[in-house]
Amino acid sequence: MTTTPPDPITLEIIRHRLAGINEEAAIMLRQVSGSQIAVEANDLNTAITTADGTVVACGDYVLCQVASLDLVTSDIIRNYSTDPGIRPGDQFMTNDPYVGTLHQPDVVVVAPVFHEGTLVAWCGSTVHQPDVGGPATGGLALDAGSIFDEPLPVPPVRIVEHDRIRRDIERGYLVRSRTPRLNALDLAGQIAANRAAVAAIQNLCRRYGTDTVVAAMDHLVDAAERQLRARLRELPDGRWRHVSYLEHGTPAPDNTDVYLVRLEAIKRGDELILDFSGSSPQAPGAINAAYPALVNFTVASVLVYLCADLLWVPGAVARVVKIVSREGTVVHACWPAGVAMSTATSCQAIRVSVNACLSRMLEGSVELARLAMASCQSSGAGGGVLSGVSRSGEPFGSMTLDELTGGGGATLLLDGVDSSGSTTSPGASCANVEVNESYLPVLYLRRAELADSAGPGRQRGGVGCVIALRPHGTEEPVRVVSFAQGLQHPAAVGLDGGDPGRQSMFYAGRVEVVDDLLAGGPVARALPLPDAAARLTGSAVHLAVTQGGGGYGDPLERDPAAVLTDVEDGLVSVTGAERDYGVVLVRVGATSWTVDRETTTARRRLVRSDRIGGREPAAPVAHRPGRRLTNALDLVDGPGGRHIACARCAAPLSPVDGNPYLAMAVVEGPVHEAAPLPARYPGSERFVIRRLHCPSCASRIEVQVSLRSDPVVQTVSPIA
Amino acid sequence: MRLIGIDTGGTFTDAVVLDHGGRTTVGKALSTPGRVDDGVLAAVGTVADSLGLTLRDLLSATDVLAHGTTVGLNALLTRSGARVGLLTTAGFESTPAIAKASKLHHLPESDLRAPSRWRKPDLPLRRSDVAGVPERVDLTGEVIVPLDEEVARAAITRLVAAGVESIAVGLLWAPVNPRHEHRIRELVREIAPEVHVTLSSDVAARIGEYERTCTAVVDAYTAPLVASYLRRLETRLRDHGFVGDFVVMRMGGGVQPAPVARRQAVQTLRSGPAGGVSATRALGARLGHANLIATDVGGTSFDVGLVIDGEAHSARLPTIDRIPLAVPAVDIPSIGTGGGSIAWYDPALGTLRVGPQSAAARPGPACYGLGGARPTLTDAVVVLGYVTRLGATLTLDRDAASRAIGEHVARPLGVGVIEAAEGIVQVACAQMRDLVRRTTIQRGHDPSDFVLVAYGGAGPQYVGRYAEDLGVSEVIIPALAPEFSAYGAISADLRVAEGRDLRPVPLVDAGPLIDAALAELEPEVVAQLRGAHLTVRRSVGLRFYRQLQRVDLPIPAGPVDADVIEDLLARFHKGYELVVGPGSAPPDTPVEVVAVGLEAVRPIAVPAPSPRPRRRAQPVRTTPTWFRGQADDWPVYRWEALGAGQRISGPCLVESDQTTVVVYPGQALQALSDGDLRLILEETA
Repeated sequence: MTTTPPDPITLEIIRHRLAGINEEAAIMLRQVSGSQIAVEANDLNTAITTADGTVVACGDYVLCQVASLDLVTSDIIRNYSTDPGIRPGDQFMTNDPYVGTLHQPDVVVVAPVFHEGTLVAWCGSTVHQPDVGGPATGGLALDAGSIFDEPLPVPPVRIVEHDRIRRDIERGYLVRSRTPRLNALDLAGQIAANRAAVAAIQNLCRRYGTDTVVAAMDHLVDAAERQLRARLRELPDGRWRHVSYLEHGTPAPDNTDVYLVRLEAIKRGDELILDFSGSSPQAPGAINAAYPALVNFTVASVLVYLCADLLWVPGAVARVVKIVSREGTVVHACWPAGVAMSTATSCQAIRVSVNACLSRMLEGSVELARLAMASCQSSGAGGGVLSGVSRSGEPFGSMTLDELTGGGGATLLLDGVDSSGSTTSPGASCANVEVNESYLPVLYLRRAELADSAGPGRQRGGVGCVIALRPHGTEEPVRVVSFAQGLQHPAAVGLDGGDPGRQSMFYAGRVEVVDDLLAGGPVARALPLPDAAARLTGSAVHLAVTQGGGGYGDPLERDPAAVLTDVEDGLVSVTGAERDYGVVLVRVGATSWTVDRETTTARRRLVRSDRIGGREPAAPVAHRPGRRLTNALDLVDGPGGRHIACARCAAPLSPVDGNPYLAMAVVEGPVHEAAPLPARYPGSERFVIRRLHCPSCASRIEVQVSLRSDPVVQTVSPIA
Repeated sequence: MRLIGIDTGGTFTDAVVLDHGGRTTVGKALSTPGRVDDGVLAAVGTVADSLGLTLRDLLSATDVLAHGTTVGLNALLTRSGARVGLLTTAGFESTPAIAKASKLHHLPESDLRAPSRWRKPDLPLRRSDVAGVPERVDLTGEVIVPLDEEVARAAITRLVAAGVESIAVGLLWAPVNPRHEHRIRELVREIAPEVHVTLSSDVAARIGEYERTCTAVVDAYTAPLVASYLRRLETRLRDHGFVGDFVVMRMGGGVQPAPVARRQAVQTLRSGPAGGVSATRALGARLGHANLIATDVGGTSFDVGLVIDGEAHSARLPTIDRIPLAVPAVDIPSIGTGGGSIAWYDPALGTLRVGPQSAAARPGPACYGLGGARPTLTDAVVVLGYVTRLGATLTLDRDAASRAIGEHVARPLGVGVIEAAEGIVQVACAQMRDLVRRTTIQRGHDPSDFVLVAYGGAGPQYVGRYAEDLGVSEVIIPALAPEFSAYGAISADLRVAEGRDLRPVPLVDAGPLIDAALAELEPEVVAQLRGAHLTVRRSVGLRFYRQLQRVDLPIPAGPVDADVIEDLLARFHKGYELVVGPGSAPPDTPVEVVAVGLEAVRPIAVPAPSPRPRRRAQPVRTTPTWFRGQADDWPVYRWEALGAGQRISGPCLVESDQTTVVVYPGQALQALSDGDLRLILEETA
């Protein structure tokens, strides 16, 4: 755009107004809408785009639902401009993940904003629906062989013409759903929200002139782009890598059920490339992401992990960050691959990978390292869909949304926020137990924070939760579909030597087993992986554990007083304090504890030297030896040229172009040792937690979760 | 007949005394944190002085003393309330800590784009002071697991031994069957009779355990302080000869007798702003307006309330200090734009921004001359010459204000100081206008049906700007604008309200259920108000099948029969289509009843003010003032000198001891017979 921006005062007024219009649209949506998914859990979002679809205003609820709304609007502009046409008073609806939604349950409704005959903007929203049809209630089928075993998507259709809803098209959409009344209310809410936003933007045009409003939107994107480029220039150039694992189906001897999301981030100057092309070929169904989901989650993750305190304009991220992917992979699936479970599977892996790479990038800057954040919960097996028939004979089906109670990631200075959900859905909430019991014929037995579920670290991750419920108010079996990820290994990474957040757990069966697990039974019990046929009958109990957040820094460096507080608050067990932090507590009176300082010091010294084969660890140096590469590694110019060294003790690890990870002291442990309840799942024996230490001072540099047969990942390499 | 209204604010305690002749006297004293009752008596004392009476003379001839208090709110904001122990259903001890995982709930705007600062609300409760008790009731009220009294006794004993001073009880589904909560209260009284108990089913009989538990915890946290304060104040008033009714403003609107207020401390929390809306309602009743927008410009915030059809508009889930409360409260959306909001240049956007940061009370805006260096909204109006002093005493430093704006805003923007100051006022007023618009238009209300009322010490300076472009029918600046909240306390009716959430039932079948629930509530409510002339209002909460938001509609007295139900259905569908669009209400989706409410009201007769004489006041002086970049000497009038019906054209200023009204170019002002001012935004004459 070549228009000159409006004066600073008008610009500020319009900017503020656009954010207000978008937020009010979300409030309107929630007022009119129906389900607890939309209203209690805020599994929705609203956005305003320019006429060509660049997203300028984006709500705070579920960022990735609208971060790339431009894919929907551009599809409509490309295909429908002449037939059926795009006119004032029209609105378009779609749930097609190959066009622009994350997965089929997310329904998008967008409306063009015309003023005096000119297309000025688009506004729109996404709401997650309880059911959009297909073989399985809730739309999520673990065993889908293709999208034809999932809800068949509706490409964009003109659902509203001249401000009136098209009843024929509405029926065609609602007839697919097992919950047509709820879907109808949500649809009405989205239409009402768009009507309100369209009218408000038109008023803005009347007051300030269409040209001024358009110029203000363009200026906003330009300003956000400048900010993001400036931030990138503050960071060192380099390459960062991360590998996340997904599983699909039953464990196979050749690991063909294991899928990798592999990211390489390359930053030079003010440009950033996020290259996912090394990811695994697509799966038949469920766990894939189509391209729109990849873009939405990547853009949202860049906002969260790189753009703190900057303008959040998704359209600007798209201009600066180049996303590279290969068609036919698990993050960029080709039709007709199933993608219905993308948000709980590959999308989570996409976020974790972007999170890990960008946070390590931030660690390269003294000023920005405080923004680096370990991974939050990665929506795992703790979540899923319950469905069946209630006592009154009416079908029900819904997510419980209890998976949103996972833990947040720790940062350089702060513990992660306990039971706080995921970062890319900042405004989402879990529903009240009483609300879920009103919607679903179940009785909750427990929903509580779970000790030792957080990733240990100098700053600990946030804890996750344990949820137990049983059928109540129905004689029929209740079908349970779990998202089924994060059972064979943890998925939320720690940073700077912090441990990963603890894994998900899932069990549907006998109450005795659940009681035993919760009592911390003596040996790790083998539990089955969830399958598509899981049912709860009679007194059977559904048990779920949501993942904890990743820790930050070496757990041996955590202040023992903070560990004691965690024990008093029930967030770390006395056993966990000793096992994970080397802090030994002794009882004082009947109910309280105190730190045994001497034993703790001795224990920590022993653990540290065990990391490097029992040798005496080198002493730390007073100042970092060179320039930051990460929090734990420095680039040092020495007599033998430039090399990578331990930032704590200055021990050289590799030449600048070498791989310092090969020099580190590796301690490898089975994943089930880090499970928050004593249980293990088939396939988990293939994975390990690798803790990498400086071979000289024994400080923990990094923790990686890996297939046993895969190599250590070189997560960072500098560009000279 | 004499009424006294008292509002304790952060800086001043205001007292407004109305005599039967309609004479109004205003008193002010510095608030006295820690000994709030001293400030109250001092403020009443200044009124007595100006009336030439002793405190005893004044109080012994007072019929009603109505009070809006911030004792509970301050205890919550400064975390200085009682140590609370919470008893929950076993297995759900983490309900407050999980907080529905809502890390963004009412987070300050400046933290929304900073993931490392995302934090949950900070409920004043230690995790180790929560104890689970085995028991379980299901959604129908059936007892699934009986209360384990042994465990309950042990938990109470442990909490009290640990130093807990107040106990909150929040059990699952207690609103449907409160039996276990009642039993736990008996146990606490048996084990530790001195410890306060709040039951969630008493203070917030609402479905949704998180918000209900928060309400119970906040009530338990503030109740000991609020109750002892109200008791102490009442004793002192009685000692000074007061024999009338002592009533307390509630955030749900209206006032309630002090003994009721002591039992529901949570209802006193935001009673100040509710007083302003209550005063707006009374002003509307006097002037013949049923729909009003109440706007209050304070030091750090701008509050908007609505009066619709003569009633203050309520929010069902108000939020205080990020904590959601499941009690109805007068709905007062607020933004952090006030006189103390800091103006700054945003290099990233290249724009002028105002707020959300505010200058603290000390050193305050640059113009206070107390060392504040960053420019605020107040500094802008000082530079423009609209305001020259604060209250009756503090003269403001225009040079300091100019320097601050010059350095931090004008220079980086590349404009002059005057242009920058006008820009600051414009941006701040646009934000205020935006909130008014969002509170009206986007909730389906047309501003042209409304009269806008502006009050608070600073409201009269800005209303001429923020009321522009809204399309409101009229703008009123009330005579008591700076003390409007204190006036609100006496202009409010005595009212007590109770609500119950019901299990969802199809409306067509719900007549007997509604009748039964209301019959149960009515005696409880009526018993709390003494005296005759009670009006009882009944309402039902309706929603579409499985919708979560409900709409409350009033119902007439008498049984809920088929006619009433048909009328309810029609009104419900009509309201829905108003928002969603014509023909949008799904015809075959059933409507459910989910709640009933009952409110008893006893009006307090407020004497009419004595009318102003008809006369024409002349300006008392002129003062250099900037409008649209031009400086000129514009006239200044004294507010109290204006005669009834007198009309003056802008630009000009109208000042009183407490505030200044700015009449912008092209606008005019008309004095009404009661001393209120009508601002005419577009002068046609």
